[in-house]
Amino acid sequence: MNFELSEEQKMLKKAAREFLENECPESVVRKAEDSDLGYPPELWKKAADLGWLGLIYPEKYGGSGMSILDLAILYEEMGRALFPSPHLSTVVLCGLTILEAGTEEQKSELLPKITRGELVMALALTEPEPTWDGKGWLPEGVTVPATPEGNSYVINGIKLFVHDALAANYLLVATRTRKGRRASDGITLFLVDAKSPGISYTVLRTTAGDKRQCEVVFDRVKVPAKNIVGKLHGGWAPLERAINVGAVLLSAQMVGSAEKAMEMAVNHAKTRIQFDMPIGIHNWVQEYCIMAFADVQGTRNLVYEAAWMLSEGIPCDLEVAMTKARANEACTDAHWQAHQVLAGVGFTTQDSVLPLHTKRGKVWQLYLGETDHWMEKVAQQIEKWPAPEKPRGKPLGIFNVPEDLQVPNWDVWANQIKNKGKLW
Amino acid sequence: MEFGFTEEQEKLRKELHDFYATELPEDVSGVPALSRELQDFWMDLQRKAGKKGYLAPGWPKEWGGLGLGHIEVGIANEVEGYWGIAWPDGIGLHIVGPGLHLFGTEEQKKRFLPEISSGEKIWYECFTEPEAGTDEANQQTRAVKKGDKWVINGQKIYITGGYKPDWLYVEARTADTIPKHRGLTLFCVKADTPGVTVTALPCMGGYRANIFYFDNVEVGDDAIVGQINQGFYHVMATFEFERSNTGIAARAKRELQELIDFCRNTKRNGKPLIKDPMVRRALAKMAIDIEVLRLAAWRTAWRFGERKRLGPLDFDLTGFFSRLNAYTHPNLKMDILGAYGQLPMGSKYAKLDGAIERGWQVTRSYHYAGTMEAIKIVLAGRVLGLPRIPAKLHTTIMQALQEKEKQA
Repeated sequence: MNFELSEEQKMLKKAAREFLENECPESVVRKAEDSDLGYPPELWKKAADLGWLGLIYPEKYGGSGMSILDLAILYEEMGRALFPSPHLSTVVLCGLTILEAGTEEQKSELLPKITRGELVMALALTEPEPTWDGKGWLPEGVTVPATPEGNSYVINGIKLFVHDALAANYLLVATRTRKGRRASDGITLFLVDAKSPGISYTVLRTTAGDKRQCEVVFDRVKVPAKNIVGKLHGGWAPLERAINVGAVLLSAQMVGSAEKAMEMAVNHAKTRIQFDMPIGIHNWVQEYCIMAFADVQGTRNLVYEAAWMLSEGIPCDLEVAMTKARANEACTDAHWQAHQVLAGVGFTTQDSVLPLHTKRGKVWQLYLGETDHWMEKVAQQIEKWPAPEKPRGKPLGIFNVPEDLQVPNWDVWANQIKNKGKLW
Repeated sequence: MEFGFTEEQEKLRKELHDFYATELPEDVSGVPALSRELQDFWMDLQRKAGKKGYLAPGWPKEWGGLGLGHIEVGIANEVEGYWGIAWPDGIGLHIVGPGLHLFGTEEQKKRFLPEISSGEKIWYECFTEPEAGTDEANQQTRAVKKGDKWVINGQKIYITGGYKPDWLYVEARTADTIPKHRGLTLFCVKADTPGVTVTALPCMGGYRANIFYFDNVEVGDDAIVGQINQGFYHVMATFEFERSNTGIAARAKRELQELIDFCRNTKRNGKPLIKDPMVRRALAKMAIDIEVLRLAAWRTAWRFGERKRLGPLDFDLTGFFSRLNAYTHPNLKMDILGAYGQLPMGSKYAKLDGAIERGWQVTRSYHYAGTMEAIKIVLAGRVLGLPRIPAKLHTTIMQALQEKEKQA
């Protein structure tokens, strides 16, 4: 057990904070909101120069071979600054899937480009029909078919809530290629050129107010068979692992954002004067700040633990599920607490940075699986827990307890104690 | 960063686990130590564990410990938590012992520490008073020097414990200072010293607390722990040991395991409870809460091991989270049992031996080492740096209230 960040991690954190404070002020976030790309390309390039895009890739693909825990620390800072970038889509969800399941050719072609900031990717997974059913992030949700035609496959259908679709050069599309006995069997991943004939994009206006999510319609889109990532029918396993990593990193991002909101609230409570005193003197105001603080600290430990286990290759489905489920709650809670403290200065969208956090927090909560989804995953893991050793025996069986105490009535017992002359 | 344990540490965990697995007949943690038989059983176990050094694994070997580090102590705590062990002499082991280590004289250490680590004696801490709860420094109990003796007079309340104590760890006022906390001193008082009397206070869930009265109780200079008038600081320093309790989460996890097993094997409307979405959600929520608590406790334990003072980041979040859970978890569990949730242990229809009912009752009394409000005051002031109402203003408010009463 050791909760200390390593020297390199501390340096990474410090450097990231300084870089983002200088390069990614509020104005940059607002500007990105209106752009089709959803992020400033020059900032993306700078992030590539800093090595952020290849951080977890092996050195032979131009990366620096660092751990998921290191990346989680970076994500906290990115959440704090609301860094607008397709990092999660490109580097983690698509990039990690390719790194795990792709052919050597795909890897050496795509990963160095990602690392250099020349390639943006988006994951097309969720679909219109099943999503309302809460199955958006389960293999059951994948129904769009890819049918073989000669040396190619034809994809036909609609993918919804595709993050960073307008920015992407390539889409990683999850398709149904056969109906297996289990839903996870029969899913195939395709690398699809985003400009392929037959693909059309419609921006979905969401709570966040940006243009980062799209409806993507595949109208008989032809993809060569060599563009399959991983095994035919066997795409779910590597994708699920990438989603797990993504969920932990997204949680780290939410912790960073929640912490920023908490700090804003505390700062406001100290400086805002009403009735001739700082409002933070009131216990009610303090309560909001404390609850936000506990949300941040409690969830951060979960994030670090899950990220560490992922880095070490220890099975951690339970920890991942716990992390995203709690981060979902904690992040929106902390934003809410901050709104209570900041009140008027918190909801004016032009002057305050808090609405930017709150709105993104909500989107992140629903991204990669809402709370219900991850709670159910937690339940699936804990229902396998064994019964404890040596459970409770017959009530008070082995001990010779007076008759009238067999069913302890605490009041009877109280009187007994009182009536006893000697207490021991 | 590292969330695992070394092989050595896992070996220790297994050794401790197997020891208690052999010694304990079944999970008896829900059974309050009401009867002489049960008290004898726990005392015997305490002595057996003491002989092996398991009671105080973190203490040096010369004082009867195993000389292990803080992570190892955390592991021992977890194992004890799993088996539901609450040592009769918890106070001696976790409050008095560390206090003596830090502030006691060589003589006191030689005299008291081996007794505590071998599990022979029972200590109670006599800090809380009717007028000194959260406001710990407001002690009214007085110790006055007369000749070569100190004479203690006063009353201590909510002193938890059902066993007969051998020693009392008393905080008393030795000087009328401003601020109040600069005039307190710690004393070791033998429980059968003439002038010490006691009244029992039965508590929810079958616990017993006590009121101790001190009527011209005489002790010598050798009873003083640490420096005269520095008692408050000594207490605050030793309280920190109580805050790294990894056992709470281990205990909570075991109880959750028990409930999950119950839900697997119990059907409602022909369907196992565990398949009910609402039950699943409640179980998942509790599992997450417990993990958050576990990590908070380990973080505190680790900071301790690194010989760092508990810093702003994790000041008593263990206590904070465990108190949050203390309210929500018993309610969720009782909901799962439905009407059976209200049946106490021993009742013919009680589920899980009534443990959940008792847990619900016991958590109402969960205020030791400071109430939730006390924790929040510290978090707000010391950690987040929020302003405090100045003492002067308190006086003004009190005066204004009195004025109003007069007018009425």
